[in-house]
Amino acid sequence: MQTNTDKATMGSQPYSNPYLAGVLLGLVLLASFVILGAGLGASGGIARIGASVSMCLSAPHTLGSEYFGKWGASPLNYYLVFMFAGTFLGALFSALLAHRVRIQVERGAASSVSRRLGYTLAGGVIVGFASRLAQGCTSGQALSGGALLLTGSLVFMLCLFASGYATAWFVRRQWHD
Amino acid sequence: MINTLYNLDTLGTPTAFFLALLIGIGFGFALERAGFSSSRRLAGVFYFTDMAVVKVMFSALITALLGLSYLVAFDWIHLDQIFLMPTVYGAQIMGGLLFGVGFAMGGWCPGTAAAGMAAGRIDAFVFLVGTVGGSILFNELFPVIRSLYTAGDQGVQMAYDSLGISRNAFILAFTLVAVVAFWLVEWAEKARTGCSTYLGTPFLKAFSLALVVVAAGLFVLSPAASQSSDEKPGTIGVTAPEEKTLMADVDRARDHIEPEALADRLMAGDPDLVLVDVRPAAEFNAFHIRGAIHVLLPQLAETLQPHKNQGRIVLYSNGMTHPAQARDSLQRQGFGNVYLLTDGLQGFRDRCLKPVSLRPEPVSAPAAARINAWRAFFTAPAPLPARAGIASPPGNEAKPRVVETDWLAARLEAPGLKILDLRPQPEYNTSHIPGSLSLNVESLRGNLGGVPSMLLPAPMLAAQFSLLGLNPADAIVVVTGDKVHDATLVGMGFERLGHLNFAILDGGYAKWAQEGRPTDAALPAVTASSYPAQPAADPFTVDYRFVSSRIGKPDTAIIDVRPADFFTGKKSDEARAGHIPGAINRPYTEDVISGTNKVVTFKPLAALAADYARMIPSKDTEVIVHCRTGHQASQSFFVLKHLLGYTNVRWYDAGWTEWAARSELPISNETRGDSPAK
Repeated sequence: MQTNTDKATMGSQPYSNPYLAGVLLGLVLLASFVILGAGLGASGGIARIGASVSMCLSAPHTLGSEYFGKWGASPLNYYLVFMFAGTFLGALFSALLAHRVRIQVERGAASSVSRRLGYTLAGGVIVGFASRLAQGCTSGQALSGGALLLTGSLVFMLCLFASGYATAWFVRRQWHD
Repeated sequence: MINTLYNLDTLGTPTAFFLALLIGIGFGFALERAGFSSSRRLAGVFYFTDMAVVKVMFSALITALLGLSYLVAFDWIHLDQIFLMPTVYGAQIMGGLLFGVGFAMGGWCPGTAAAGMAAGRIDAFVFLVGTVGGSILFNELFPVIRSLYTAGDQGVQMAYDSLGISRNAFILAFTLVAVVAFWLVEWAEKARTGCSTYLGTPFLKAFSLALVVVAAGLFVLSPAASQSSDEKPGTIGVTAPEEKTLMADVDRARDHIEPEALADRLMAGDPDLVLVDVRPAAEFNAFHIRGAIHVLLPQLAETLQPHKNQGRIVLYSNGMTHPAQARDSLQRQGFGNVYLLTDGLQGFRDRCLKPVSLRPEPVSAPAAARINAWRAFFTAPAPLPARAGIASPPGNEAKPRVVETDWLAARLEAPGLKILDLRPQPEYNTSHIPGSLSLNVESLRGNLGGVPSMLLPAPMLAAQFSLLGLNPADAIVVVTGDKVHDATLVGMGFERLGHLNFAILDGGYAKWAQEGRPTDAALPAVTASSYPAQPAADPFTVDYRFVSSRIGKPDTAIIDVRPADFFTGKKSDEARAGHIPGAINRPYTEDVISGTNKVVTFKPLAALAADYARMIPSKDTEVIVHCRTGHQASQSFFVLKHLLGYTNVRWYDAGWTEWAARSELPISNETRGDSPAK
């Protein structure tokens, strides 16, 4: 029986050499440092979208809140929102080139869709919250801050992997084939 | 040297948004190429089945780190030009631990989920919905977790400083760790899945060797970064010698000034306070705190050099991050007197400028009076700042009371802004700045007590200004051809009436025309006003009795601004030749530079300050300036008082005309005019 992964890769090109893909990613990060004067970021754009959703639900409450309030009435007017949009477009371009676009819920064959989506939704909420607390995610803190050798970013990265390995065993069933 | 958008403070502009979009496209492309659009592949790192996360992430990190370090070594960029996130131990340890849980559960992180969504992964979309929700949750819980958010805030901390080793040693060690990690994860994959694509391949050997060689090359290229901060304070980039003192000060909030305290100091005219607005020029021009000067971040250290460790430098912007990083950068360059305005401009608006009627909390009567006084001072209808240099172009320091053509062009229609054109009438009639009024300088002078060419008394000046339709609340911009001293003489007239809201157009009409800015020949419609006379406003004009009482006094400097030949007595067109005993000669022409097309501007402030510092012991020394008729000396008065901040400057208007004619007054170098000037 084919697993989901087999289906996902059927007819699509293999991924690039991870080391060379990493070098490419590093050069993009370097360009971001040199041109923008700031590293790559993803959760910052997502949080702006969150603030924008919050504005739609209740503008006075959002503007009066301590954290989102300081972003003003147009939280989407921010470079990381555009970078996030670009990330989607760039990935779409690459995935189309390599015939890798497949509408699917990626999971282990023995796992149910609801289990996988439940885990990923809960994981998303935790990651969204944690990124705000740490002022960045894997992109903004671990990768960008790490390349700048900032103490806090490297500490964040160590903690992230430590707790990731500690958690993985408990949520392993979603990947069982 | 590359100038980043962050350093220019233009990350909020459409250009920056477009560039961020392009960089994002590169980011997404690289993530997808790496296979990070698959949650199974990402999650594999936690089960040792697919270690691509480690390979890609460390390759990227080391590539960017080495690339950046080489750019720094070649002096193409400085680390201060990049936004450096502060280290907040509590928040980052807690955030990292939580993030790991969410990452393992979801199989995505924010950036990779965007790539996954692009590749059609529904689980990536659901994950992103979760992260949006998590962000909103954070905002809702913020009041509860605020203390955790700032727990263990260390400011900007570099890992090599935290460990007490040199930057280059840290980079080499980090690179070696990454290379070892590459080999270990390849081995782990082989052990776990039975195959490894790269273990022991020539590619991985060459890649590993290349990274280590490049990292080691930094020791050769950048020896300064090969010493730890303990051995050598203030190495490249962001090593802060007084990081510990700095942090201690931050803890005690000693580097902040509260808006109320700032407002009081500004109103009191505290001469030791330099208020610096570091927002983009357009925002500064739209509104700024009265008394602030505008300095672009790249020019900060250079412009503020004269104030280094003298008085207080207060930085403000809209928020706190930007000035905080500017402050840290200045501190590393040895500035120990830089403060931040708590909560920035917004805090100042909320706490000082918000009307009492709009405040939710009850306000006591004395507090209300204080607020009203601040509002009267800071929100006066005054487009010109009291002593602000306005939006100077890069490389040119801010000159107080001098406005740039850009500044004026943006305000031609501003209500309450009046432009006075002092050029000869035929030139004015041919073309002038739209809306400007013609004024003949000589109409402000006349015979007083037998002395010709004296600035008219206050009531007569007020009558002249009334005919021009001027009001005390107007902001006046004075425009000349190439005679800056015409503009400063008119300035003396306004000062005599206590009208301090005036400025001189830098470069005058010549620069305006040269830049191809709008002109017309229409005569503006003027309704006569009734400008009130305030005779008590002039304590600075002095007469010959005052001057003679100061001769030989060591704490007074008498500066004769006439051309050198008149000072020495070689030339004369007055009753006697020579100068007042003890006077210093500083021709007024030395304070300006004539450029092409008759564009005359003031010399750079630093040069002027250095020149006068040699002649005058201190900024509060009494200085008397004079020339022959008071005209040229008005320019020196302007330079000393308004550009350089001398606090006790007097103007002997009657000047050499009167001094030479009064034979009882002493003179030096008397060589009775053997070679009349004319």
